[in-house]
Amino acid sequence: MHEDASQQLALLLIILFPLAGAVVNGLFGRRLPRSLVGFIGVGSVTVSFILSITAFAELFALRGEGVHEAVLTYQFYEWFSLKLPSGAEVAINVRFLMDSLSGVMTLIVTGVGGLIHLYSVGYMSDDDGYPRFFSYLNLFMASMLILVLGSSLPVMFVGWEGVGLCSYLLIGYWYENRDYASAGRKAFVANRVGDFGVLIGMFILVGVVGSFEFADINAAAAQGYFRKDFMMWPFGVVPSIATVACLFLFLGCTGKSAQIPLYVWLPDAMAGPTPVSALIHAATMVTAGVYLCCRLSPLFITSDVAMSVIAVTGTLTALLAATIAVTQREMKKILAYSTVSQLGFMFAAVGVGYFAAGFFHVFTHAFFKACLFLGAGSVMHAVHAHGDADIFKLGGLKKQLPTTRWTFLVSCLAIAGVPLTSGFFSKDEILLGATAQIFRSDDSLMVAVGWFTLIGLTLAAVMTAFYMFRLYFLTFTGEYRSAGESSDGHGYDAHPHESPASMKIPLIFLGLGAIFAGYLGMPHITPFVGTHLPSWWGHWMEASVAGHALPESMNTINIASGLALAAMAIGIGSAWVLYRNKSKDVLAEKVPARLYALVFDKWRVDELYDTVIIGPIKQVATLVGRIDMTFVDALLTRLPSFNAREVGRFLSRMQNGVVHTYGMVLVIGVVSVMAMFWTPRAHVEGALEGETLQLVAAPGFGYEYRWDGDSDGEFESGWSTKRIYAPTYGPEDVRKIFLYVRSPRTGASDHYSLTEQWTRLDLARLDAAWRRTQGSLPIVARLEDGKVQLRMNGAQVFGRTDTPDVIELPTGRGTGIENVLMVPRATVEATVEVRNAFGNVSTASREMTLPDGYLPEQHALLLDATKEGSR
Amino acid sequence: MSTHTLTWLLAIPLLGSVAVLAIPRSREGIIKKFSIGVMLVEFVVSLRLYWVDYSTPGYRLVEQVTWVESLGISYKLGVDGLSLWLVLLTTALTPIALYASWGSITTRIKEYAFSFLLLELGMLGAFVALDLFLFYVFWELMLVPMYLIIGVWGGKDRVYAAVKFFLYTFFGSLLMLVAILYIVAAYKELTGQYTFDLEKLTTLMLPAVPQYLLFSAFAVAFAIKVPMFPFHTWLPDAHVQAPTGGSVILAAVLLKLGIYGFIRFAMPLFPVASQVIGPTLAAFGVLGIIYGAYAAWVQRDLKKLVAYSSVSHMGFILLGLFAMNRNGVSGAILQMINHGVSTGALFLLVGVIYDRRHSRMLDDFGGLAKVMPWYATAFVIITMSSIGLPGTNGFVGEFMILGGAFFSRGAVGLGNNWFVMTLLAATGVIFAAVYMLHAVLRMFWGKVTHPENESLPDLNRREAWALIPLVALVFWIGLYPKFFLDKMNPSVDAFISDFSIRYRQSQGISKAQLADLKAIDPEESGSYVLARHAEEGR
Repeated sequence: MHEDASQQLALLLIILFPLAGAVVNGLFGRRLPRSLVGFIGVGSVTVSFILSITAFAELFALRGEGVHEAVLTYQFYEWFSLKLPSGAEVAINVRFLMDSLSGVMTLIVTGVGGLIHLYSVGYMSDDDGYPRFFSYLNLFMASMLILVLGSSLPVMFVGWEGVGLCSYLLIGYWYENRDYASAGRKAFVANRVGDFGVLIGMFILVGVVGSFEFADINAAAAQGYFRKDFMMWPFGVVPSIATVACLFLFLGCTGKSAQIPLYVWLPDAMAGPTPVSALIHAATMVTAGVYLCCRLSPLFITSDVAMSVIAVTGTLTALLAATIAVTQREMKKILAYSTVSQLGFMFAAVGVGYFAAGFFHVFTHAFFKACLFLGAGSVMHAVHAHGDADIFKLGGLKKQLPTTRWTFLVSCLAIAGVPLTSGFFSKDEILLGATAQIFRSDDSLMVAVGWFTLIGLTLAAVMTAFYMFRLYFLTFTGEYRSAGESSDGHGYDAHPHESPASMKIPLIFLGLGAIFAGYLGMPHITPFVGTHLPSWWGHWMEASVAGHALPESMNTINIASGLALAAMAIGIGSAWVLYRNKSKDVLAEKVPARLYALVFDKWRVDELYDTVIIGPIKQVATLVGRIDMTFVDALLTRLPSFNAREVGRFLSRMQNGVVHTYGMVLVIGVVSVMAMFWTPRAHVEGALEGETLQLVAAPGFGYEYRWDGDSDGEFESGWSTKRIYAPTYGPEDVRKIFLYVRSPRTGASDHYSLTEQWTRLDLARLDAAWRRTQGSLPIVARLEDGKVQLRMNGAQVFGRTDTPDVIELPTGRGTGIENVLMVPRATVEATVEVRNAFGNVSTASREMTLPDGYLPEQHALLLDATKEGSR
Repeated sequence: MSTHTLTWLLAIPLLGSVAVLAIPRSREGIIKKFSIGVMLVEFVVSLRLYWVDYSTPGYRLVEQVTWVESLGISYKLGVDGLSLWLVLLTTALTPIALYASWGSITTRIKEYAFSFLLLELGMLGAFVALDLFLFYVFWELMLVPMYLIIGVWGGKDRVYAAVKFFLYTFFGSLLMLVAILYIVAAYKELTGQYTFDLEKLTTLMLPAVPQYLLFSAFAVAFAIKVPMFPFHTWLPDAHVQAPTGGSVILAAVLLKLGIYGFIRFAMPLFPVASQVIGPTLAAFGVLGIIYGAYAAWVQRDLKKLVAYSSVSHMGFILLGLFAMNRNGVSGAILQMINHGVSTGALFLLVGVIYDRRHSRMLDDFGGLAKVMPWYATAFVIITMSSIGLPGTNGFVGEFMILGGAFFSRGAVGLGNNWFVMTLLAATGVIFAAVYMLHAVLRMFWGKVTHPENESLPDLNRREAWALIPLVALVFWIGLYPKFFLDKMNPSVDAFISDFSIRYRQSQGISKAQLADLKAIDPEESGSYVLARHAEEGR
């Protein structure tokens, strides 16, 4: 990585301006005049945009000078650090970085964001919470910019959760409506589920890489650090760390970018004001997941499994959301599902390894989807619809709202993929990626994923064109269906009017973007014609983003473009036939009513989650609440207090003054005491007193002992009161020989009984140096000619090249071989007989290991003795 | 004063409490101002601890005076990076809690101020005592004023709650006392002299089985205090009944003494036992995280909800502590501060609404954001800190603790039960959002449904001044935790290396072998960055 030593203060200021705006408007906004609040809100983002342009220009100049991996950085301060098991400190720096990828994203965020701030000045002009709105919106900008510019995962995560917070606050902006506030909470919790994945993914990455910086992670991925197999409980061996890490991170992406299974929050998020929907829930925040995948593209591309999961999830989401969008009745709902569907396209592109294409769709989508949302807002503003607008109550608005209509139409053309609009170029690239995967890969799984993606996305593209033009025709063509309505609260304003300039200007800019933004990323080869074109986008992005090479084969290119064009034509054509100048939902009459209702109810996924996940969790929680108050508390509080009370009551009843009771208790007591002393207690232990081995028997009142030190049945001493006895052992007394093996590093210590047969030593418990031996046969030990033999079976102990095949262990003391201690040891058995005053006798015996070196000279003899056979 | 800072720290509240007794009962204003004044002086004096150098292992500002010579009991105080921030947390939060109390406590002002000063003495004493006997004295000393605060100034069932609190804690303390006496006796047997000095007693290496028993006795005492699941049932009762100031101190400082006891006493005294039993306690911590979160979600009383959230948060701290590495232990200590700040602030906020409505039931509220916007703002900020949003203090602590647990058994700790514990603990992050946002939704969003809520006044000056320092700390710790971590990290490193040396010694490994063990095989545990640095070094 080429670091620019100079600090780029602009990167920090890009973030600080909106943050300062948020603080000022949040703390003092209620006391400031509205115009100033709006000025601070829009102004801070505008300054940010200008700074972004200057920074980007610098980056552009660096690239122009031929610095391929040009980056601008700003190191702010060290946040905190983690310590890895290796002892390395991983500093988490608040550091910002602008490279090709984050530079473009910064421009999108500040540019589109600035326009939407400007739009909000008009759109929110009548709202009571004006300063609060701008404070939240500025805070969102700051968080989003931290997300984009953060040079490491934790810093990105600050923005990642920060935008989640702002999303929560802005969805529930009209908090007096409890449903809106609930939608905000739903968004936050769904995002938190994803954030959990990012958190875990982060730890896995830092464990492998030793750094949180994106640059280090990507470099490590490129060098194959993630390809190790490893054990993961309870799955056993898992293919590669990259797969696990990527899947955890992707869980985060499904939360933030509204993919299956966590997409359910985004449609509900339309409860927020329309500029919020345009900015957060269409153009910027929801694309953060795609951004993260691109940011870590060298990592993702190393895992085929994770990539396939992403491609399939993206395709399924694109299809599912598109079907729902076809049936919805409200403008923002349709656009919301459309957003989910388009995000699915982006992930599909990422999943087939065309990160730059996926991100190009982020770029173009930001323009046309923001324009569509703001257009919808303009319509709602015009007809005084609150919350959302039912398209079956609209119609014919092209006369009253010409600017809105033209910008909306242009954006519809773009999202449908009409040639030479921005959406055409970006969608074409995605289909090209899927097609290329089919032809490129030899792996049957990858080919299947390619086919699935291609077919799924083509169908989704058909539906996209269809529902967008359904929306357009029903809103802008035909007759205005609320014309006769009075303002009794059920219908819309009978006389719609075009929006003020502050709302029209952003629409026009975004509409222009919807057409022309695509020319930055023209295909490298024109379909059907075959002309080579300069693709600025791909060239610019390759510095930061990995990905597969674009295909050169004309067949591949023609198939993709052909499908894209066909999908667009079929979609728009059928919408034209069914909905142009119509006022009814014609489609509903042509498909089975129950199917239509099911789709209209969003496939009842929310209800499914309620029954299968949320309901049971809630029940468990209720149960826990009850258990805590009854069972746990009863066990630890009421039961002990009950016991104390009842025992006290029982004992006090015992003292009742009746002589019979006292007599009986006395008899029971005497009998128990006598029973205890009736038989003596026999117990023997060995102790080393200096060099002598002593046997010690347990003491007792009036006990006498007699000893048989070697347990041969002949007592060596008579009855005496001495409870300590020091026998001497000879070779003939030995019972068993075993090998004591101890590995201090692993803490393992084992005893192996030795015979003349080979005994196998368990290497797995020994020191690592031993475990590394590559012998085909295990290491074994046996008794041979009175010596202990160790047979290495060709194995080499680590660090030694001259390990002899047979090692004879010296007798009588320990031998250390590569940190492993080996001692041959012998055992004897001792017996004691105990007699008490009643004349009752008990016996105890114990097998004991002789201390190392107890009989050094006779050791050989000792071994011989055992060889002859045991008693 | 320079050499007796710690004695002054104990003397000021003691003298203050005696002086409060001397002020006539009728002069309430003077009692209030005087007691706060004493605590502020105490806070300023305690700030001196920050400027002591903690970069090398060992205790600082040590004072030792023989107390009972024949039994080896001494008055020994000292502070290090582990206790520094806990002392400062105590001296900072006690005046805030007392100041907030003056808005709602109207009876027996004099006794209340006296109890609070005595409580501060007990807590600080327990944090700086380095003699087991002295520690036990302070440990029991703080029990009494807290018992009185709950039992006298508490809610409807205050006597039940106070007795429950007392008996639970006292039961644990007795076990601990027996264990302390056992260690002292064992030390006497070995060396022929009595001592209660922690530094001397930690040189003792007991055999494994006695260690298990003694550690368990200490662990029960501390686990009750923490409180660790399933010993937590005294906590909701105590919190619900305690007055606001009492709740704040209980959550912010008293619970921390349980964890502190593990760090300072149980773990250094019994390394083998804590190595063996520790993971089980961590598992109980994880259980507590989830259990507490579930229980919090279904509470209808806001104060109980916050109390159960404490159980959940303290579970995180246990997990971090027994991960036994730098991330985990530093994270646990930082999270203790965080929990003190956030949960202390939450109890203050609950007190604010209780003073106005004499209800804490979620059903009685709704739409308060419209009526009390600043209150709602403060509540949401503290909520975000409590659920660990990055940029606030909660995130840094939880992140370090999860990092500690994740790396507890190696670089890519995926193949062991610590990974499972990390995963489960991390789901606590999700549940925290669920129950806290549930409370926020029920309290603040929607329309004002109860007419009596329509004209509630927003935060008054006293409440705002009590909350502002806490909100400032939320962002200070969240944005620049290095300020706090730099002071504690050397002590934590020393704590861990002492611990592992002693543990391994008990396993029969010499120091020389240990040094050998520390030389890391780059292939085995090396990360990309280590390898790169090695390459660059060549």
